[in-house]
Amino acid sequence: MSIELVDLHKGFGGDDILRGFSLTIPEGQTTSVIGGSGSGKSVMLKHIVGLLRPDVGDVWVDGENVARLDQESVYRVRRKVGYVFQFAALFDSMTIAENVGLGLKRMEGYTSAKIADRVRECLDRVNLSGFESRLPAELSGGQRKRAGLARAIATEPKYILYDEPTTGLDPVTTAVIDELIMRMADELGVTGVVVTHDMNSAFRVSDRVAMLYDGRVRFEGTPDEIRASEDPIVRGFIEGRPELMESVL
Amino acid sequence: MNQGKEILVGLVIIAAVLVAVVGTLWLQGTNFGRPSTTVEALLESVGQLSEGNPVTFRGVRIGHVSAIEVEAGDGGVRVTLLLDGEVSLPADAGLVLGPESLFGDWQAEVVSRARFPRFPFYEVPPNEPTTPRVVGGYALPELSRLTASAEQISLNLAELTARLELAFNQETTDNLSRAIANIEAITQEVRTLVQQQSELAGAITANADTALAEVEGAAQAARRSFERMEDFMGDAQMDSILTNIRIASAGLRTVTEELAAEDGLGATLDRADSAFVRIDRIAARLENGEGSIRRLLTDSAFAVRAESVLEQLSLLLLDVRENPRRYVRLSIF
Amino acid sequence: MLLSLAPVQAVGRGALRSVAAVGRAGYMGMEAARALRKVGFWAPHLLGQMRRIGVESVPIALFIATFTGIVLALQASYTFTGAVPLYFVGTLVGKTMIMELGPVLTGLALSGRVGANIAAELGTMRVTEQIDALETLAYDPVAYLVVPRILAGAVMFPMVIILANAVGVLAGWGTALSLLDMSSPEFLRGLRLYFDPWDVQFSIIKSVTFGITVTAVGCFFGFHTRGGAYGVGKATTRTVVVSSMIILVLDAFWAAVLL
Repeated sequence: MSIELVDLHKGFGGDDILRGFSLTIPEGQTTSVIGGSGSGKSVMLKHIVGLLRPDVGDVWVDGENVARLDQESVYRVRRKVGYVFQFAALFDSMTIAENVGLGLKRMEGYTSAKIADRVRECLDRVNLSGFESRLPAELSGGQRKRAGLARAIATEPKYILYDEPTTGLDPVTTAVIDELIMRMADELGVTGVVVTHDMNSAFRVSDRVAMLYDGRVRFEGTPDEIRASEDPIVRGFIEGRPELMESVL
Repeated sequence: MNQGKEILVGLVIIAAVLVAVVGTLWLQGTNFGRPSTTVEALLESVGQLSEGNPVTFRGVRIGHVSAIEVEAGDGGVRVTLLLDGEVSLPADAGLVLGPESLFGDWQAEVVSRARFPRFPFYEVPPNEPTTPRVVGGYALPELSRLTASAEQISLNLAELTARLELAFNQETTDNLSRAIANIEAITQEVRTLVQQQSELAGAITANADTALAEVEGAAQAARRSFERMEDFMGDAQMDSILTNIRIASAGLRTVTEELAAEDGLGATLDRADSAFVRIDRIAARLENGEGSIRRLLTDSAFAVRAESVLEQLSLLLLDVRENPRRYVRLSIF
Repeated sequence: MLLSLAPVQAVGRGALRSVAAVGRAGYMGMEAARALRKVGFWAPHLLGQMRRIGVESVPIALFIATFTGIVLALQASYTFTGAVPLYFVGTLVGKTMIMELGPVLTGLALSGRVGANIAAELGTMRVTEQIDALETLAYDPVAYLVVPRILAGAVMFPMVIILANAVGVLAGWGTALSLLDMSSPEFLRGLRLYFDPWDVQFSIIKSVTFGITVTAVGCFFGFHTRGGAYGVGKATTRTVVVSSMIILVLDAFWAAVLL
């Protein structure tokens, strides 16, 4: 069982963002999707949890086609998936503990005492112990990202989707987040999908890397394979040399 | 925290519901906490009475009409009154329905039947239960019907007056005399009714007295202005006739002079012709005009008309002042 | 091409956009109706929204009503000099306040206070992906965010407006006593002369629809916000403009249908 995206097409008001995007995400591994800003990485990610529906194509999560499911079934699939948003998307009227515990309230068998335990455990995991009663506005960017991660793992999801987890963070905080992503994979055995344009981060955390270019997957392989790629588009992107990419056009 | 919220929201809702319910009842004129008693009345008909109309006793408001129902068979109409429990009614109580003011909304007045021996009160069948108490009633003839026709007639008269200034012909005269006949009939009816009702103590008589006094004043004013109009109309007509005759004789004189001068016979004849035509026309006008004028000046009905119009108008004015609701339909936005 | 087709195209595009907006609004209405079943989502938030939308709006509503009542009394007495008896001041203040100005002025003021607040809040939640986050946590955002707000509006607007009506009439009464040389019985005579309990019901019916309008329009524009702070600002402005317009149209509609 895994996540499989088949021939996705998605456009917004005449602009086609995804044009036949296909990718299989193997179980128990962390896959990074790299690509330029606005190339459609986040759009792709939102299709996995049904926040967006494709114009054409299928999104298989554990054998269910999210693109065709009714709303209630989509909610069922979402419980298996944790989503870490680019800017954490914490609810700013709630404390950190309430944010982290919100998803648990929808799970069966969670009393408020059990929720409190689980919240503490998750915050501990992201090194935010003692921040339970703080409001999101009182946290730094990195802390907020970690709180967002804690919220995503609280429901013990099988998959975690990271939307630009390290964007806008200093190198030290980036390393902390990367460390967390790897720990999630190692300790909890979750399947991770990381959308990023931070090459160092991608190489560090991923088992596999896919490059999204022009609405499709341009390259897919291990970090070593992508480093050895001769494709000028791939090389241009990972080495930060736009002239290589332009020579193709 | 949550408890505080609940209390606040609850307070606002309770306050609003209380304001809505109590305010509505209060504006409707409901008395809170006063003992009340129910009295029923049987009548042949109820005239213009409707639910919610006041019930008075010796001129004081003591309750309102709470229900009006037609009885089965030949039983007449049953009116239920909700009265102040502390008022004790006379042993031979009867209910008289009539207008609250001369032309206004109706009211039910509780009276002692001994004071109005000539009123045909409804006979309460002996098998009626004793609680609630059932009394017989009588509805006075309607006055509001007369108001409506008086209003119509005064409109007609206004139109006639306008026409009178343009052309005073046979049709106008006929219309006028018909209208006058109507008004005389109506005025007579009003007087009869007012007299009949003046036997009732209270507001009606007072109103009627005021109205009649105003009518008298108005009638005198009308007669004075009518006399002035008489002079004026006579002068104007006669003046124009005399002027025309003067022009005509001047024309004749010219013709005679020109004939004597023997200067171009054709043109002279033409001029003579036109002068004679003018004289003919004047003669015709004199005849018709004089006829109309004479009729106008001598017909005493004209004076009656002026009087009636003013009378109707002052009654209507009075009614408007007393019962604005009947005339002003207030709607904003 | 001799003639530019740009104006024609503009008309076409405008029409399509309007139809699309109506469609989205209708879809959201349906979603909200469906989400009513999910009591567990909205019930816990209803109380808080009732406080925010209702209780916190009481001061501004009463403030507006007070001055409206005063102005009505003063202007009525100014208009009624001579021909119309002064007790009509009571009639005018009562009728106008309860049937028209109470509901409409409060509705318009609250479209600014409540509608804009909702649009800004939900708009910010939308652009910071908080609404998406709710969805990924398996919460139905319509049931969680929209339904409690609309229900609170439908329940609390009438409450606020009833209080505003009462305070407006009282203010008019006070003005009549203190500034117009009227007596209480005179004012009350006018007030009661044309009073009909239906007026109050009419006012309540109007307020319920105004409450639904203001909250639903705020939710709609907030939910469909795009493009950061600028988008939130646009959503807020549109909410106030559109809900004010709908309130005035509804006002005329109810007057035509119910009176």
